[in-house]
Amino acid sequence: MLTLLILIPLAGSLVAAWLPRAWAVGFALATWFESLWVLQQFDLHTPGLQLLEYQPWLPQLGLNYSLGVDGLSLPLVLLTSTITLLVLWGAPLSIPPERRQLFNSLVLLATSGVMASLVAQNLLMFLLFYELELIPFYLLIAVWGGQRREYAAMKFLIYTAVSGILILGGFLALGGLSGSLNFDYAQIHPEHLSQRTQLLILTLLLVGFAIKIPLVPFHTWLPDAYVEAPAPVAILLGGVLAKLGTYGLVRFGLGLFPDTWHLISPGLAAVASLTIIFGALAAIAQKDIKRMVAYSSVGHMGYVLLGVAASTPLALVGAVAQMVSHGLVLAFLFYLVGVIEVKVGTRELDVLNGLLNPLRGLPLTSAMLIAGGMASAGIPGLVGFIPEFLIFQGSFSAFPIPTLLAVLGTGLTAVYFVILLNRTCFGKLDNHTSYYPAVTWQEHAPALVLTGLILWFGIQPSWLVSWSESTTAALIAAINL
Amino acid sequence: MHLQFFLLLAAALFCIGVYGLINSRSAVRVLMCIELMLNAVNLNLMAFSNFLDPQEIRGQVFTVFVITIAAAEAAVGLAIVLSIYRNRDTVDMERFNLLKW
Amino acid sequence: MDFASLAAQLNAGAILPEVLVTVTLLGVLTIDLVGGRSTSRWTPYLGIAGLLGALGALYYQWGQANPTAFLGEFNADPLSIVFRGLVVIAAAVTIAMSIRYVEQTGTSLGEFIPILLTATLGGMFLSGADELVSLYVALETLSIASYLLTGYMKGDPRSNEAALKYLLIGAASSAVFLYGASLLYGLSGGETRLAAIGAALSTLTPQTASGAVIALVFVAAGIAFKISAVPFHQWTPDVYEGSPTPITAFLSVGSKAAGFALATRVLVVVFPSVLEQWHFLFAALAVLSMVLGNVVALTQTSMKRLLAYSSIGQAGFVILGLVAGTAEGYASMVFYLIVYLFMNLGAFTAVVLFSLRTGTDQISEYAGLYQKDPLLTLGLSLCLLSLGGIPPMAGFFGKLYLFWAGWQAGLYGLVLLGLVTSVVSIYYYVRVVKMMVVKEPQEMSEAVKNYPPVTWSLPGLRALQVGLVVMVLVTSLGGILSNPLFRLANSSITQTPLFQAVPPSIANSRL
Repeated sequence: MLTLLILIPLAGSLVAAWLPRAWAVGFALATWFESLWVLQQFDLHTPGLQLLEYQPWLPQLGLNYSLGVDGLSLPLVLLTSTITLLVLWGAPLSIPPERRQLFNSLVLLATSGVMASLVAQNLLMFLLFYELELIPFYLLIAVWGGQRREYAAMKFLIYTAVSGILILGGFLALGGLSGSLNFDYAQIHPEHLSQRTQLLILTLLLVGFAIKIPLVPFHTWLPDAYVEAPAPVAILLGGVLAKLGTYGLVRFGLGLFPDTWHLISPGLAAVASLTIIFGALAAIAQKDIKRMVAYSSVGHMGYVLLGVAASTPLALVGAVAQMVSHGLVLAFLFYLVGVIEVKVGTRELDVLNGLLNPLRGLPLTSAMLIAGGMASAGIPGLVGFIPEFLIFQGSFSAFPIPTLLAVLGTGLTAVYFVILLNRTCFGKLDNHTSYYPAVTWQEHAPALVLTGLILWFGIQPSWLVSWSESTTAALIAAINL
Repeated sequence: MHLQFFLLLAAALFCIGVYGLINSRSAVRVLMCIELMLNAVNLNLMAFSNFLDPQEIRGQVFTVFVITIAAAEAAVGLAIVLSIYRNRDTVDMERFNLLKW
Repeated sequence: MDFASLAAQLNAGAILPEVLVTVTLLGVLTIDLVGGRSTSRWTPYLGIAGLLGALGALYYQWGQANPTAFLGEFNADPLSIVFRGLVVIAAAVTIAMSIRYVEQTGTSLGEFIPILLTATLGGMFLSGADELVSLYVALETLSIASYLLTGYMKGDPRSNEAALKYLLIGAASSAVFLYGASLLYGLSGGETRLAAIGAALSTLTPQTASGAVIALVFVAAGIAFKISAVPFHQWTPDVYEGSPTPITAFLSVGSKAAGFALATRVLVVVFPSVLEQWHFLFAALAVLSMVLGNVVALTQTSMKRLLAYSSIGQAGFVILGLVAGTAEGYASMVFYLIVYLFMNLGAFTAVVLFSLRTGTDQISEYAGLYQKDPLLTLGLSLCLLSLGGIPPMAGFFGKLYLFWAGWQAGLYGLVLLGLVTSVVSIYYYVRVVKMMVVKEPQEMSEAVKNYPPVTWSLPGLRALQVGLVVMVLVTSLGGILSNPLFRLANSSITQTPLFQAVPPSIANSRL
């Protein structure tokens, strides 16, 4: 049942603070199995919520313990549990052993919070776990990060806290003005509010989630946070936490305001294309490979927004698939960048060279990096192609110009990845300095698993897409009513 | 003798007390101004009691309580002033600046 | 008539908790007088036991049919029971904190505890006082005892200075309050009971209503001093910094709770005729407190001063609940004060522990503490995060309830300002947590490098440890499991007769 999805990581968080790493990985594995079990129980053809649980919690506040999963949250639940498992498995590469127990504990706590937010069916419960993420991630960046970690962590904290209060303001308005008894999703009916009020609340929520995802122009916290965070934390930030923002966008924006969505969707499409182009152009200009991947992440979230804005069934299915694909590819890229940073000792594009060298370079890592770049650029056969194709197909009818700009963005993605790969992997190794420690099979393992997933979902995309089909179709049908 | 005269006198005394409170440099003088303010209130209470509440004279009872408490406050205040004088050798309010912004 | 029937007629059973505290006070004083210095090993525990006994007596008083006592002077209704309970718990934890602290400074514990119990008595009577004379006497009892406690460390010039400032400003404010009370006495035509004054004021003509507003201003000035609302907050940072730290804890929680009890009772009972005016006045106080308290706290380098400005900001949030004017609003105010008690006392207990071990109060000296003292780090971090409103701690739920009640009552601007200043406050609370948890071992401060090994064997340290653990547990779990607290806060408002005229909430019916 869904409560276990929240309880297992939470218990693991308390246990992992004192016990060795194997326990933390064990709890993450248990969470992953639980999420697989949820998948197995899930009926793919029913559009509504499944595996419901309900428990009155704090009736004074209207906060109830209400859980449920549908085609929107299920892929993200599986993505979260998979990424957490891989992060905890691959953490020893970047995290020194002195405080690793605290690290594991914080990661599991963060996972528990994300799981709870994804399956919550009560606005305040969603907000509670959304805000819960603040301090674990602050500590994860501030304790184990790079040179400017304190600044980056504080920036992340303040931006995310502002995002939280904007969303809280929107939720309070929804609860107070729509005259519902409590904050359960089923009880919130903003339809009979005036259009102006609806627009106001929707804008509040959108800005709040836009800071989280992040979208241009609220993205300024991302480069610092992603770059200063250690690789495992960057994976979590981009692969898991950002999805919470897009999930909120669909669930509360599209889901609660079907009538007013068409009023703001042209603006959203414009922001989406701006984000895609800006992300790509900024990535081209970078000299630090981690920063390049960070801007790539910004750009690729723009595709999700385009699909959500277009609100055709095909585009929304593509958007959900892109969320999962982006998570997998980003985890893959950040992990490999982390390996390069630890083994070679630098992230500078000007310095890195010739890592494909089979004798003295990092051949397997570089080969996987090439695969990752291809996946991110949307080459067919890898997981990145199908979501982007679905989004383009679905959005073209609604917003032709932004879609064309997005296609252009895909091309630009290829540009910066070619720059990255050309400089990093190809070329000649510098004989004087290239004495790199070998990458063990254990250190390769998470990346290999991700390679397998990327290939698998690339070749067999129906598994990626079919989870969310019926729910997204129902959401779009509600708009067109 | 109208009620207003007493009230005006009390208000005037109160204002003198406030003025002295703000402007005094000596801590003892500030304590005296506080006593002045409390006595102005006593005048107020007595006046109201006489004109508005002659049967139950609640105001006069209140006045007795205020006088008592003012005495206690003055005692405590002087004790604290004495203690500060023992440590700092002065009661000049301008010199008490250890606790800053 | 004999004593028993007199006591029954006056409903003297209503002040049983206060009598228990008085007996404890006299007991501690006598034992210290007779037994000498050696008794100070166990008289604090006697004091705590007496306070817990008073808490039990309060519990039994709940839901009494006839709460009025002493011919209308004292009111033991559920609202007063909750506030008296807050003052008692604050005093008990303060005694636990001060055992070691007072020992270490070399002063005598034998006078400290009676004066603290006197302040507690004053606070308890203030929470239930229903009449001008008893109100003033209780207020002064609390205040004068607080002045003495602030200046208790006679050898420390900062303590002396803080006591002098507190005395002068406090005496002036209570004189101002008293002037307002005398005007109320006159305006109501000779009434001193609050309910009678309120009834008399509502029959005023529009010409004489201005007198009510003038009285309101004077009374509000006195109240705002007690709850340290801006711009009557000038004494707070200096007094909090100069006082011995356990007393700072008591002032920030117990004295403030009593001040809010005073505010609620006086404003709701006496001034319903000028409702808009006092709502406006206190909304302005709330805005100023939230903004100034949180913004100035950003610049502080001393832990006690930081907590002082933070308490000014927190008072601003609580005033929001007061201004909401609905039953939900008052209930949210009571709930937040209960939660605030635990998290603030927890933070102060940790600060006392740190200053006992290192002798310093500067925030920068906390750097790298997680290495040497994980319990203190965890406790202080959880309490500070709770103060900042981070879930799952109780402070988050308290703030949520306040904002929800304020929103429903239509105070959109105040709620938005509260949300923004909450984010500001997160910054300075997390800064302290950062010092303790994030700083590397090589960035440890001098104080932490010379940190004594953590032992709990010295007398009084056990009490500190128990106090810290209990406060931290309540703060962390009291949010998730806060349903009993919610029901307590709600029933304290709905079962109190003076709130019967108050609308439940502006929105539709709620359970």
